[in-house]
Amino acid sequence: MNEPRFLLRPCTWVYLTLLLLTFITWFVGVNHLSGRFFAFLVFGFALLKGQLIGDHFMGLRWVAGPWRWAIFIWLVLVGTLVTAAFWRTL
Amino acid sequence: MKYQSQKVAKLYFIAAIGLFVGQILFGLIIGAQYIWGDFLFPTLPFNQARAVHTNLLIVWLIFGFMGAAYYLVPEEAETDLVMPWLAKLMFWIFLAAGAATIVGYIVMPFADLAKLTQNDLFPTMGREFLEQPTITKLGIVVVALAFLANIGFTILKGRKTVINLVLLMGLTGLAVFFLFAFFNPTNIVWDKYYWWWVVHLWVEGVWELILGSILAFILIKTTGVDREVIEKWLYVIIAMTLITGIVGTGHHYYWIGTPEFWQWWGSIFSALEPIPFFMMTVFAFNMVNKRRRNHPNKAAVLWALGTAVMAFLGAGVWGFLHTLAPVNYYTHGTQITAAHGHMAFYGAYVMINLAIISYAMPLLRGREAANSNKSQVLEMWSFWLMTISIVFITLFLTAAGILQVYLQRFSDNPLPFMVVQSKIELFYVLRELTGLVFLAGLIVYVASFFVGSREPEATVEGEVVAAS
Amino acid sequence: MEKPRWPPGDLVIWIFILAELLAFGIFFAAYAFTRANHVELFNTYQLTLDRNAALINTVALITSSYFVVRAVASIRQDDSRRCFHWLLAALAMGTLFLLVKSAEYHHHFSQGINLSTNTFYMFYLSLTFFHFLHVILGMVILLAVALKARRGCYSAAEHTGVETGASYWHMVDLVWMILFPLVYVMR
Ligand code: HEM
Ligand code: HEM
Ligand SMILES: [Fe+2]
Repeated sequence: MNEPRFLLRPCTWVYLTLLLLTFITWFVGVNHLSGRFFAFLVFGFALLKGQLIGDHFMGLRWVAGPWRWAIFIWLVLVGTLVTAAFWRTL
Repeated sequence: MKYQSQKVAKLYFIAAIGLFVGQILFGLIIGAQYIWGDFLFPTLPFNQARAVHTNLLIVWLIFGFMGAAYYLVPEEAETDLVMPWLAKLMFWIFLAAGAATIVGYIVMPFADLAKLTQNDLFPTMGREFLEQPTITKLGIVVVALAFLANIGFTILKGRKTVINLVLLMGLTGLAVFFLFAFFNPTNIVWDKYYWWWVVHLWVEGVWELILGSILAFILIKTTGVDREVIEKWLYVIIAMTLITGIVGTGHHYYWIGTPEFWQWWGSIFSALEPIPFFMMTVFAFNMVNKRRRNHPNKAAVLWALGTAVMAFLGAGVWGFLHTLAPVNYYTHGTQITAAHGHMAFYGAYVMINLAIISYAMPLLRGREAANSNKSQVLEMWSFWLMTISIVFITLFLTAAGILQVYLQRFSDNPLPFMVVQSKIELFYVLRELTGLVFLAGLIVYVASFFVGSREPEATVEGEVVAAS
Repeated sequence: MEKPRWPPGDLVIWIFILAELLAFGIFFAAYAFTRANHVELFNTYQLTLDRNAALINTVALITSSYFVVRAVASIRQDDSRRCFHWLLAALAMGTLFLLVKSAEYHHHFSQGINLSTNTFYMFYLSLTFFHFLHVILGMVILLAVALKARRGCYSAAEHTGVETGASYWHMVDLVWMILFPLVYVMR
């Protein structure tokens, strides 16, 4: 890979991002923060984490064609269904 | 055919076809009883004739599986069967026990048969599909053990292929789950609970392994595609089957007195059961498209592809139709169930048996690779006649089922069972007429073994199409 | 360089992954829609879950996924020893996950909670246990790959097996990323 290196490997940056998002989610959780904003914030993070894992860890970022979107499409589907179900209740 | 001992398969295949004919005749009898309630009464009441229809089905399918195993295990293991004489002996024992049992169903009332066979000593009789007298059940266990020992040792002795191991797993599972037929708790909830371990875990579990491995064998032989590719497919199909099928048993635990979580487990996991069937369809067509050669036995390829499609339709689509708890709440035990039962059993297990018979029988009868063109044309006619008939039988029963559900369970003024039955009689007539077409197809099928057997073998026109 | 058309690892594992994702997707949707009909119940019992344990477990899975990424990178540089070591580290993280999750189960079971207690616990136990089984399966696969790596069966030129195991393991991680906020946090 001839991408520029910012001190750390790209996958390590991804890893740190995942950890950060996880800690925020946990913070929301332990403080029982509720309502649309917080719920969809952490859920959005979850979808983002999923996309990062698909792209960088599973390596779909470097794939061309339909498989490139396999994880993305799954996340969109799950995201839509869960959002639809939670929306009215929050 | 490479090994002399493969020859025993022939006996098993012939018996299977013979019993298949019996099954269909009795299907027609009970179909007629649906229309004329007292047809053959009191000589042959519906419940007993029905038991003959379903038991002949199960028994001939198992004969077919055994024949398939005796044929393909030596070939895969590259060694002769360890005990061909035992296979022959067990054949006659199994056939005699089966025939005696069927005769018992036909000639005497069920209660007398129970008394005659000392059912009181160890009661196991009477439950659907497991009607057999306890002594017959014991006989089945002996036959199964001898059979497993025979092919098990052959596999141990020879080359161990994935196909052989999956087949052995499936057949062992078949025998193990049958043991629950001996378990007959007085609590009716537990009784039903374990009854499904035989019925469901057979057709949606271990039998699927048998189906997958036989299908893989036929595809390897007829397409020449690399074994590794086929084995990989087999792995995922098996994994998905077991993941979805085992917990999927829950789709029978909705209303029998089991805890509520089964409605969730059953719905979610059984909703996924079509996946392995769908994979099998993709798998079969993929392999045939990638074929390295054209096999002269076109009929066998047709049966194999037909299995893949019809199993998906019957089990996957018609199963999914009524598998979610909120739907099953209305459809449970209606003609929808019967519609699904017919197409699934035919599409998956009848067709895979006819596929392996179609592939192996010409070889067992001394052909190089295939029957004559004439005989294959006839066989393919029978394929279409029987397959289209079962599709129509399924459609008619589905229509009957939808009306039944509506009139009896869904409408604002639900009608009593028998009133509804008389309103949907038309569909039973249509089913019976289609059944006659099925019988015609079966007669053509049997005829294909005799017609054109002196003519030269079919050859492939046009050489190899695809490279890898 | 032309991008490949197929994802890393054996294509068959990806078909399996899609099937598994479908299963989890259906489970998640069922959870969400059922919750919509029992909001009070779900909100009440969600509070009995241990979010700290869930944090540890999320970190454990992310970390182990990261280690697996490093294992793949090592074998691409033809370093099987390193690949083996990263895989062992990933397995250690998987073990940590199993231990923490078992402790959570122990806590619930000792309070007499089971699948029939209420709909929330039914979902919580089923979903997490289904995932738990996937962690075990993923670890079995990783272990098999690790042992092969140690025997030097993989190289920079041919390491499909490593990528196959890695892809499956990332899927197990991915699913938990959704499960964690969905079951433990969102309210
Ligand atoms: C080749 C495979 C299959 C065969 C041979 C088969 C056969 C049958 C039969 C004979 C019955 C009736 C049992 C009885 O009550 O006597 C039945 C019931 C049922 N099957 Fe299947 N089946 C297969 C696969 C499937 C699949 C894949 C699904 C789900 C997707 C499914 C869903 C159901 C359900 C929900 C019932 C219960 C119907 C009721 O409540 O009355 N089946 N099946
Ligand atoms: C000539 C064609 C056939 C006719 C007229 C026929 C008729 C029937 C009838 C009337 C029943 C009883 C349904 C009830 O208890 O209400 C039945 C059950 C059954 N038949 Fe057939 N059948 C035919 C072919 C087949 C074939 C080819 C198969 C297997 C592939 C098959 C498998 C079954 C099974 C599994 C049941 C039990 C289903 C259940 O209880 O839901 N039948 N059949
Ligand atoms: Fe079932």
